[in-house]
Amino acid sequence: MIGVGKAKQYANVLDKPLSRGRQEVSLSAFAFLFSELVQYNQTQVDNIAELERRLEDAGYAVGARVLELLCHREKGNRRETRLLGILSFIHSTVWKVLFGKVADSLEKGTEHEDEYMISEKELLVNRFISVPKDMGAFNCGAFVAGIVRGVLDSAGFPAVVTAHFVPIEGQQRPRTTILIKFAEEVLRREARLG
Amino acid sequence: MAAIYSLFIINKSGGLIFYKDYGSAGRMDTNDSLRLASLWHSMHAISQQLSPIVGCTGIELLQADTFDLHCFQSLTGTKFFVVCEPGTQHMEVLLKVIYELYTDYVLKNPFYEMEMPIRCELFDLNLSQAIQKDRVSLLGR
Amino acid sequence: MAPLAPRSGDAVFASVERVNAELFTLTYGAIVRQLITDLEEVEEVNKQLDQMGYNIGVRLIDEFLAKSNVSRCVDFKETAEVIAKVGFKMFLGVTATVINWDAEGTSCSLVLEDNPLVDFVELPDTCQGLSYCNILSGVIRGALEMVSMKTEITWVRDMLQGDDAYELRVKLLKQVPEEYPYKDDD
Repeated sequence: MIGVGKAKQYANVLDKPLSRGRQEVSLSAFAFLFSELVQYNQTQVDNIAELERRLEDAGYAVGARVLELLCHREKGNRRETRLLGILSFIHSTVWKVLFGKVADSLEKGTEHEDEYMISEKELLVNRFISVPKDMGAFNCGAFVAGIVRGVLDSAGFPAVVTAHFVPIEGQQRPRTTILIKFAEEVLRREARLG
Repeated sequence: MAAIYSLFIINKSGGLIFYKDYGSAGRMDTNDSLRLASLWHSMHAISQQLSPIVGCTGIELLQADTFDLHCFQSLTGTKFFVVCEPGTQHMEVLLKVIYELYTDYVLKNPFYEMEMPIRCELFDLNLSQAIQKDRVSLLGR
Repeated sequence: MAPLAPRSGDAVFASVERVNAELFTLTYGAIVRQLITDLEEVEEVNKQLDQMGYNIGVRLIDEFLAKSNVSRCVDFKETAEVIAKVGFKMFLGVTATVINWDAEGTSCSLVLEDNPLVDFVELPDTCQGLSYCNILSGVIRGALEMVSMKTEITWVRDMLQGDDAYELRVKLLKQVPEEYPYKDDD
């Protein structure tokens, strides 16, 4: 399969057929790359908040691209216009393609109308990462929060997205919640659409 | 009844980067553990020079009256060794498992600095599970 | 315990946990973009990518050794084959070919046709001198240094710059012998 015979040369990268998304690399390769992304950004910042922001920004562009790719490949270019539609798309399709499984849960926030949460027992990106105690609540999942924000923004659903560790009763390790807070305009539009 | 008394990991310069005791038989204070690690590093290196066999890669097993010491050295020079009850089986397999845990939960941790002491929660957690599984299978026999 | 038999690249790749290559490709793209924004100069980005690769290489080698059961290579020819067939395969899911050995057997080329780092990447005019995959040269250099081999690695062919494949020239500079404590001289 791979490596057998010479790959067909395309004069223009745009002529090359879109991959079906079946090629794989080892989780380790991704983990080492992600670890280096975090380490590099650590050298560029003075505090944890800045580190979070840089990881989020790195994820944002990934999210924007993922939306384009998946809309075309998985959804036949259909565009989500409803809140639950885009959230479901992220929770199921985006998660499945990027992380190999649908997210553990999608919930509406109980305290605020504009908040939704996608939760995972453990984010793939955090699989091998132990955050030192002196970094407090820092979560490398900020990268994933950035991806989600990138998808939402490009789809027309601007939001503030952050990653949080949530301790669970009786569990040694906290789970991670990606908190999505939609901009007012999104909620107003949802209300108008009925 | 603990078959394993203690686990040491030393970096390629002989510095102790991880030490854990399992029960009072293996317990020692920090200074002792540091000294022991450095001593073992030297003995291991000297054994390679003393060996009459060309290409000897150092001591793998030390058997004494009251303990066995199994040592695994990776090609990168990092050494993993356990001190255990004499005659304890399958320690080489355990060391290999621990080596893999190290390649996952230590080396892939962006907050771990190479050659420094290991302080990775996930490594501790998974190590405990591995030792526990080992204990269970030992007792089950 | 008898040493375990070395495993093939396919066997190791089949046994490890795998992820969609797109996550990997997109994340690498994010890294390159960050570097271009931060450093601005293409040469600086190339250097930083190589350094990042080196940092990865010195850590990745232990996993390679642990999972492949490879023992100390007899000579550099074996080393190159092992990198091409086992190393690349178990991490990137693709194999490389080793060609163009020099007379001493200390220098060769690794050729990659499939490269998950560069799917759908096109270099813009502003970045023509960018060695987009430079992280790879650093990874190999870092990994080999941890097993006592100092190497020099350069790109000979780069598909993003119009060539028909990715070709890395790997040159063994020297084998650094292990240092013993208590050595009297030096």
